Amino acid sequence: MATPQPLLSTRTTFLVCYDIANDRRLRKVFKTCRNYGNHLQYSIFECELNPREKARLETELKDLIKHDEDQVLFVSLGPSEGRGDRVIAALGLPYTHFDAPCYVV
Amino acid sequence: MTASVYRTARALYPHRPEMWEPEFLYEPLPIPDDHPELGLFSQELQSISEGLSGTSIPAALNERTGRESEAAFHPRVADEPLPARMLNEYVYCPRLFYYEHVDGVFLESADTERGSAIHKKVDKGRGDLPPPKAAQRGSKESQPAAVAAVALAPDTTPGKEPQPADIADADAAQEDMAADGSPKLETIHSRSATLGSERLGVLAKMDLIEVQMVTVAQDRSSWVPVTSFKDAQREASPSVTAPMPSPPSPPDDSPPLDTQSGTMCNLTKRTSKKSRPAADQPDLFAAAITPPPAAGTAIDAPCLPAPVAPTARLLHVELKQRVVHQVTPVDYKLGAPRRGEDGNEMWEADKMQLGLQILILRDNGYTCDEGVIYYRATKQRVPLAMTDELEGWIIGKIAEARQVAASRSIPPPLMNSPKCVRCSLAPVCLPDETRLLKRVTAPLLPDSPDRSADKRLSTMPPPRRLMAPRDDERALYLNTQGARVTLRGEVVVVKEQDSVLGEFRLKDLSHVALFGNIQITTQTVQMLCEAEIPVAYFSMGGWFYGLTRGHGLKNVYTRIEQFQSAQDPHRCLALAQRFIHGKIRNHRTQLMRNHVNLPDGVSLKMKRAAGDVLAARSLGELLGMEGAAAAMYFQNFAGMIKVGADDDELPGLEPVKKADRPDFTFDFTKRARRPPTDPVNALLSLAYSLLAKDCTLAALAVGFDPYIGFFHQPRHGRPALALDLMEEFRPLIAESAVLTALNNRMINPGHFVRAGEAVNLTVHGRKAFFQAYEQRMSSLVTHPIFDYKASYRRVLELQARMLARYLTSEIPEYVPMMTR
Ligand code: SF4
Repeated sequence: MATPQPLLSTRTTFLVCYDIANDRRLRKVFKTCRNYGNHLQYSIFECELNPREKARLETELKDLIKHDEDQVLFVSLGPSEGRGDRVIAALGLPYTHFDAPCYVV
Repeated sequence: MTASVYRTARALYPHRPEMWEPEFLYEPLPIPDDHPELGLFSQELQSISEGLSGTSIPAALNERTGRESEAAFHPRVADEPLPARMLNEYVYCPRLFYYEHVDGVFLESADTERGSAIHKKVDKGRGDLPPPKAAQRGSKESQPAAVAAVALAPDTTPGKEPQPADIADADAAQEDMAADGSPKLETIHSRSATLGSERLGVLAKMDLIEVQMVTVAQDRSSWVPVTSFKDAQREASPSVTAPMPSPPSPPDDSPPLDTQSGTMCNLTKRTSKKSRPAADQPDLFAAAITPPPAAGTAIDAPCLPAPVAPTARLLHVELKQRVVHQVTPVDYKLGAPRRGEDGNEMWEADKMQLGLQILILRDNGYTCDEGVIYYRATKQRVPLAMTDELEGWIIGKIAEARQVAASRSIPPPLMNSPKCVRCSLAPVCLPDETRLLKRVTAPLLPDSPDRSADKRLSTMPPPRRLMAPRDDERALYLNTQGARVTLRGEVVVVKEQDSVLGEFRLKDLSHVALFGNIQITTQTVQMLCEAEIPVAYFSMGGWFYGLTRGHGLKNVYTRIEQFQSAQDPHRCLALAQRFIHGKIRNHRTQLMRNHVNLPDGVSLKMKRAAGDVLAARSLGELLGMEGAAAAMYFQNFAGMIKVGADDDELPGLEPVKKADRPDFTFDFTKRARRPPTDPVNALLSLAYSLLAKDCTLAALAVGFDPYIGFFHQPRHGRPALALDLMEEFRPLIAESAVLTALNNRMINPGHFVRAGEAVNLTVHGRKAFFQAYEQRMSSLVTHPIFDYKASYRRVLELQARMLARYLTSEIPEYVPMMTR
């Protein structure tokens, strides 16, 4: 049985970008996204999500936004681990990516 | 009275110290028969009861602890009504059903997550299920009503479609008819109704029920709205005469109503009360629906002759009622239907769930012949018609499922099934691994490899790896003294004074380890418990105090097996042999791979030692053998450290200030714990402490009690089972992490401080070592038997699960993890 080469991680990196027409909803969307990823830029989060987490984030956002006024985009950047070339390159302030096996403070 | 009895009292009544007193022990102790550790004490208790001739332990207790009384183990699950969802799982896979229904194990996957999102959406919709038709339930009131209807409308026989000509008030009647003269059906939706059937012993929550309502005229003979009518007449027009046959005397409780809509409500309320199904739900349809009084189809006797034209006409319009004609359960599924020979079909499991819904609706008095599943992926409605054959199949499956639920052993995994790939419990169930070990384990173990075993192994399909090779989550080590840990949303925030040291999303954490003086808020601990992220506490020096975690898995049966096995000296010895065998083998591999110049004979001696261990006749003898082998290993341990004192002078290394630097070297002569007296021993101690934590977590994740072991005996503050599990992993994880940290100079002499005799790591030293340790934990290794790659952390959990399989007799042998 030829199984495809397994990925190292089940997570995929997404850029989650949003455009929200109303301030109250904007704050809520921001707060929700903060639970799922790094605040990269204004209205852009970088989220590493496995399918379960993605489904949950989508549900939460769907409940928050107004479907005829707001928009949230999920831009997939491919698997979080084992990505050969860095997809994200920065000009100006550096972009850093956490890559250690654990968090220590 | 012996000391052992005294101990028993202490263990049974930890919360009542007075029970520990000797005078209490002259009386037979009242034993709480729900004590979780009864199995452990049963032998002792029995001997006590024999000793106390005449005074015996309650018979119920002895029964409960007996292994043979199978049914007693699942009394709760056996009698409960089965949820339809569980029967759906049973049809998908009996093992899945057992895990979820009996063991209470459940894992979220993307599918279940999306599924529950849909159900949540469905649940938000309003609409209760209107009551079924009264006539079908055979209530007493309906009989005379039917007779009356026939008598009053001679041309309209029940069951015959009414012709417009039969209807006196044609205008009013036409409103109810479609153009072709058939009754106008109207569909309403009822959402998330929960109904049960006693006959089947099943409970179902139905996403959506399409209810076809038909409008028929109210049969007046069943009315008793006397007071209200009088009131209505008084208010509306004094000239109107009572249209009704003289009604019985007004019931005392009928409230006076003064508007016609009020009349309507009153009527409905009274009639619907009689026919409401037992489940008492607020009825949003109350104003619109009353069950039809007549037997037969819903639309017999649509109207009466009009002897009392003006009022009757008015009332006729008011009193038309809508009744339930037929119901159709509709279920949402995320996936696609199965591709059948002619068109798309329903999956077996879906058939089960929907068929059950139809049967339950029928048992509750509704007319229901068909159900529909809506498959989201293909946006298709696939219907299912109820047949006798289907009903028989469903009832058969329910009986099977009950039998499985009452059985003590879990059904075997499916054979190489594609279902497992989609199953959210695959990482718990490990179908292929279990099947493999079921057949070929015994010959794998002895030191002389059995060729035939290898052959058999190679003919089996290799297990599919049905889990991610490593976790997405990472450990969080908190090591900065005086830090405070709080929560913001679902993010853990670590602060020192007012500066934020770090923010960590809950979804990224596997567990949290606190070293020394860290303040953590209760809110954070609660949230971590809820998110199933355990918190482990250590002293600054790395002593593992214990941990906090949420309720976790139910999985009590694994514990029962564990307790029983722990009482059996033969099983204990057999397991202890396996653990130690694995450790010595791995020690040998470690030396052979990493030692600069391994003295002759060491490898052979260790190989022999590993073989001898399997023949040890007692735990005591085993302990001696283990000690000798460990001594041999640590004698040669120094040969694996490839960094000398003068290496620090090499260019490119950070210069370390001489003054700060006590002259630490990484010489190692022998293992010294408590306290470690040199840097290498300090590192080893910390590494073992971390590994004990991870083994405890693995044991808990599987459903074990980490404090009851087989080789290590329970002692205060020692997670004995975790230490058992740890044996084979000591060289693979802990010692290997130490060697890597030293040889790669992640740790240098500046990372240590001396306090009296003891040598400790500095905060920076610890930090560097956590990284080294976790790096090892998450590095991938090829599993020697399963032949796929997984992280050491995964393999650790895998071994814990295999131990559970061995204890529940699913596999004949526990095979330790030994790298090739
Ligand atoms: S992994 Fe396969 S065998 Fe195990 S519960 Fe799921 S479907 Fe059943």
